[in-house]
Amino acid sequence: MQNKCGQFFTSYRQENRLFKTWFERFWLLVLFVGLILYPLCFDSYVLQLCMINIAIIAAVSLNVLTGACGQISLGQGAFVGVGAYAGVWFVQSGAAMLPEWMFVVFGGPFIPAILCGGLVTALVGMFFGIPSLRLKGIYLAIATLAAQFILEYVFLHWKSVTGGHSGMAVPAPEIFGYTFDTYPRMFYLTLACAVLMVYLATNLMRSKPGRAFVSIRDHHLSAEIVGVNLFWYKLQAFAVSAFMAGVAGGLWAHTARYLTPSPTFGIGLSISYLAMIIIGGLGSVLGAVYGAIFISVLPICLDLLAELVGGFFPELATPIKATKGGVFGLVLMLFLIFEPEGLAHRWRLIKAYWKLYPFAH
Amino acid sequence: MKRFWLILMMLLSLALISGCGDDAEDVDEPGEATEEAAEETTEEAAPEQAELQELKIGVLSDLSGPTGDVGNPYAEGVMDCIAYLNANGGVGGYEIVAYQEDYAYDVQKALTYYEQFKNKGIVALQGWGTGDTEALMSFVAQDEIPTLSASYSAHLTDPNTAPYNFFVAADYTTQMRAALKYFADNWSGSEAPKLALIYPDHPYGLSPIEGAKAYAEELGFEIVGEVNVELRAMDATTQLTDLMEDSPDYVWIGGTTDSTSVILKDAEKLGFETTFFINIWGNDENLVELAGDAVNGHIGLQATAVYDDDTPGTTVIREITGGEHKMTHYVRGFASMLVMAEGIRIAAEQGEVTGPSLKAALESLRDFDPMGLTPPISYFEDDHRPNLSVNLYELQADGLHFKASQTLERKAEWLGM
Repeated sequence: MQNKCGQFFTSYRQENRLFKTWFERFWLLVLFVGLILYPLCFDSYVLQLCMINIAIIAAVSLNVLTGACGQISLGQGAFVGVGAYAGVWFVQSGAAMLPEWMFVVFGGPFIPAILCGGLVTALVGMFFGIPSLRLKGIYLAIATLAAQFILEYVFLHWKSVTGGHSGMAVPAPEIFGYTFDTYPRMFYLTLACAVLMVYLATNLMRSKPGRAFVSIRDHHLSAEIVGVNLFWYKLQAFAVSAFMAGVAGGLWAHTARYLTPSPTFGIGLSISYLAMIIIGGLGSVLGAVYGAIFISVLPICLDLLAELVGGFFPELATPIKATKGGVFGLVLMLFLIFEPEGLAHRWRLIKAYWKLYPFAH
Repeated sequence: MKRFWLILMMLLSLALISGCGDDAEDVDEPGEATEEAAEETTEEAAPEQAELQELKIGVLSDLSGPTGDVGNPYAEGVMDCIAYLNANGGVGGYEIVAYQEDYAYDVQKALTYYEQFKNKGIVALQGWGTGDTEALMSFVAQDEIPTLSASYSAHLTDPNTAPYNFFVAADYTTQMRAALKYFADNWSGSEAPKLALIYPDHPYGLSPIEGAKAYAEELGFEIVGEVNVELRAMDATTQLTDLMEDSPDYVWIGGTTDSTSVILKDAEKLGFETTFFINIWGNDENLVELAGDAVNGHIGLQATAVYDDDTPGTTVIREITGGEHKMTHYVRGFASMLVMAEGIRIAAEQGEVTGPSLKAALESLRDFDPMGLTPPISYFEDDHRPNLSVNLYELQADGLHFKASQTLERKAEWLGM
């Protein structure tokens, strides 16, 4: 750990704190104040911010599974879908099964619905995680790819629950009588959930299960020899990861307010989550956050660039827009070649540079 | 670890290829040209009609996305109609100001542009595809912005679920039902006609199947086969060979022009003797070009007239476009805007034009004829089906030829199904 020069800890408690210096805490506070003020001051891009919050949750969830535990998953997009459908189903039909006191405690069906979406997804994730005991690498990738297609088929054909091909409308979430029916309100809701999930993942990674995940990723045989129950921890990784993906899905459904099957929760979504964690940095929670932001902001920037260039050279605007898919792929390639440890690593280097400036050594 | 990276590299190159594929659809010029043309016309018209008030509407188009090939002519039709209306004295004392955005069939972008439209104060919206129309459904209801879309899903016609959604063509299921009715009425064989279905396993392909199958059985069709051909299929010989064994008299094709042309060409190659009838997005002038002689004699379902038909509307369109042939989608876009304009006119007669008053005006339309471009249109407070009619066109290598128009009774139990 690169700590500030002259920073000493006098207790383990101090050393284990998430944010060790006042400097970090101050800037974090500034960030959150900025985020909270943004929708009050600006109209544009609030929806994108909501979607970024959701993408952060999903990317962090995949990072627990793929980045930390080394179990590659191509089904994360479908897991997000399971959470979305389960959450909405719960709000519309399942809430009647709840005891009265839960409504009083949670202020309506929304929070139980999100949790239910997460739990159902965790079960589904564990089910599709079972092959991970026997399969590794590309074989597991194909197994989870199968999960992706099977779940997509279920979304499309299980009419009574998913609404089939016509999909279903989702009511605006309501907690204690407060309705989240505009994007700024949804932004605060998704931000709160994202912060909670990132906090959960960070603490998970630095506790017993997190260390077990990393040991499985680094060498499964050694892990088993030192007493890590491979099957149990792999399943746990699938469950935790799917739970968080399910929460992301529930939020997605309530932000978009309408659920349709493919291509929303298709293979493209799964791959873009993989891209997020690779660009951000595999295995690092903060990396997943950076990756999610980067991948979500990149197309917006390309659009703005196209508009800007289009102002001077109108004939260039359309080609730039058309090359977006290509640029996207190119950026991923370049990251893999030049920055294999991701944005999180680059960020650490930048921080180290300024910490040591002007004496680089 | 090395192998892990290798796998990732492979996956990402896959992503790259598919990513390119999605966006590499050709982008036609006309859409932008129209936008400019429309702006010019509104500017020209403004000084003459100084007393006209402005009425803002949003136009959400797919010009550069995966449905750009049909989205371009449709958007052009909408924008040309607006220019035409403004040049002819506006609508009910209003000059229509249209904000057009290309959302490239990306639902998130559509939601963003919708937000922008709303901030600009639009009264109504001309929408486009299924995904965005459904995503916007609850928002337009909340914000009271009547929306005319080009997604003809049956559930959008039920005001209980979609109170502010309208469209000008019969929904997919109704179109298919009407075609089946036409075939049943004109059937001369002694045995029951045999029907087979080809459609993609995709929300859009599945939507009419259930309702139409029930109606086909009611009409006495024998359903002999059902196969899936995906929208991006390159080959359909396996599925067609399967169907050929049952020798169906009529075969439904639900898909886009790409998949339809694959099916028709493979059917010709295999010598499949039957009559194909093709849904609204699966047949147009492009299909004739793609499939050539393979289209001969098959039936295309349409909701509007085509460019060369003899109606007052198409005459106007031919004048505006200077005889440059436009696709059926252009005509449909034009008709959609005409219907919206009629709603604006009625609402203006009764007072201020707002979202709710425009909705009420549209719901008061009874057998409105948009210059002969579509069968007569009526909306009701509890039923947003414009009509239950379909135009059947016979496809020939030289274009689409009008064959018949079939209308069904407005049955309440079909609403939204």
